[in-house]
Amino acid sequence: MSSEREIAVDYLARVEGEGAMYLRLKDDEVLDLQFKIFEPPRFFEAFLRGRRFQEAPDITARICGICPVAYQTSACNALEDAAGVQVGGQLLALRRMLYCGEWIESHGLHVFLLHAPDFLGYESGIAMAADHLERVEAGLRLKKTGNHLMTVLGGREIHPINVRVGGFHRVPSKAELMELRSDVEWALETAIDTVDWVSGFPFPEFERDYEFVALQHPDRYAIEDGRVVSSRGLDIGVTEWNNHFEESHVPWSNALHATIKERGSYHVGPMARYSLNFEQLTPAAQAAAVGAGLGPTCTNPFQSIVVRAVEMVFACEEVLRLIDAYTPPPQPALEVPANGATGHGASEAPRGILYHRYQVDEAGLIADAQIVPPTSQNQLSIEDDLRSFVPQYSQLDDEQLQWQLEQAIRNYDPCISCATHFLDLTVERE
Amino acid sequence: MVIGVGNPLRGDDAAGLEVASRLQRVTAHQSPHGGFELMDLWLGADEVVIVDAVRAAAPPGTVLRFDPIAEPLPQTMFASTHDLGLAETIELARHLGRLPARMVVYGIAAESFATGTGISAEVAAAIDQVVTEIDHA
Repeated sequence: MSSEREIAVDYLARVEGEGAMYLRLKDDEVLDLQFKIFEPPRFFEAFLRGRRFQEAPDITARICGICPVAYQTSACNALEDAAGVQVGGQLLALRRMLYCGEWIESHGLHVFLLHAPDFLGYESGIAMAADHLERVEAGLRLKKTGNHLMTVLGGREIHPINVRVGGFHRVPSKAELMELRSDVEWALETAIDTVDWVSGFPFPEFERDYEFVALQHPDRYAIEDGRVVSSRGLDIGVTEWNNHFEESHVPWSNALHATIKERGSYHVGPMARYSLNFEQLTPAAQAAAVGAGLGPTCTNPFQSIVVRAVEMVFACEEVLRLIDAYTPPPQPALEVPANGATGHGASEAPRGILYHRYQVDEAGLIADAQIVPPTSQNQLSIEDDLRSFVPQYSQLDDEQLQWQLEQAIRNYDPCISCATHFLDLTVERE
Repeated sequence: MVIGVGNPLRGDDAAGLEVASRLQRVTAHQSPHGGFELMDLWLGADEVVIVDAVRAAAPPGTVLRFDPIAEPLPQTMFASTHDLGLAETIELARHLGRLPARMVVYGIAAESFATGTGISAEVAAAIDQVVTEIDHA
């Protein structure tokens, strides 16, 4: 009997965008493995050229319907950096609150409707709803709570319209924020319960020695800004990004593969943030993590669902704290001049670091733009996970192996639309 | 209540939105996002009509009529590139007990979903037909 086989998934389910996977193996040896992103390239960086710098947050927000705030924030950071302007105080607090809304909305969708069905053996969140009605209802309401925060702070829930370079067009009153409080209190309790629920899922025994990369800030669990640090000693300002990271094209993906120049593949996202910045999580988030059996680091990618739930707890607590401390700032935005400079900005999108760089000319037009989204950074890490994972599970039949591998990909909550600014699975056994 | 679903920038996909914008005699909503939002839009309504462009094996402009209370919509015809597709949203709502008592879905067979091309002549004629049917129902 031939021991070589091939597994191909042409359209990966429950990921954002269009991607595929191809695997060819002989016994437990992987001969060829590709995580393919075939969603067409979207050329955002090219069509930003010649646009006014103030347009970048609204244009780049269109890259993603799940994490538009990440694009707006990284764009603002980069353009404010170019102008030498620093946003602080309540404007920064509002930016963080809006971003927490996006984390709750994005993590809520992934934990309940995209990822939980993998562990409970359902084909989809919809099939799962038949047996886990209350959980799905809770997930939808959590997502809605995040979306509602985005509506109140950002003007609408998808592609907010209230964000501008330097701050906002309009800032909310204290009363508008206080109205959100009871919903967020409910969300906090539900998120704590969710950590407990997902921590009981069956996780494959699988760990990898990742180089985690995330933003880090001296005062807070980094979301909207920070330095770029890694679990192997990298510690740089965002302006030094291109000295340490590079992007290259591989024929099977329309998304550029990002690597750390000296070392290759690395891992961004909830597990990286959690493992690098655990000490800065709020007390309830830390307590939920400890209660769920997580240590101060997490290296089993299947447990990323627990980490996402912990981050929801954190985001809810953070929103409550920010609402309580809020007083409307004197002006909705700082003046940001065009001064013919290059700026760099990064923030922690739900799926990991999102880096932007803009070169702005004297007239305030964008001369050059670079956007490095989290999923393109995680592509090599996803392929490395699959390569390490296959030998442990090569005794499974094709169908079961495919299910496990798709699940290993969904650990990353890959956002293919973002990466192509970028799933199908193929396994061949020989 | 009538809900038109579609992307206004993608050719014939705007058909549902166009129908909703032209109705005179009934409450109509336009939902460019579709997905989860739909369940909130139809909350509390007894009878809901949804209009969407579909990818069907029928000639462009063909108007198909479905009763999703009786049986699920064909999944591939009502797919979405974002969020949940219409067929999935209705199935989720069925599990959650959030379907209205009566629902009709009009699917207008599209010629093209290309960006920036506007609505084709065949689909424009189908829009007239659906508007008349709903307004005079």
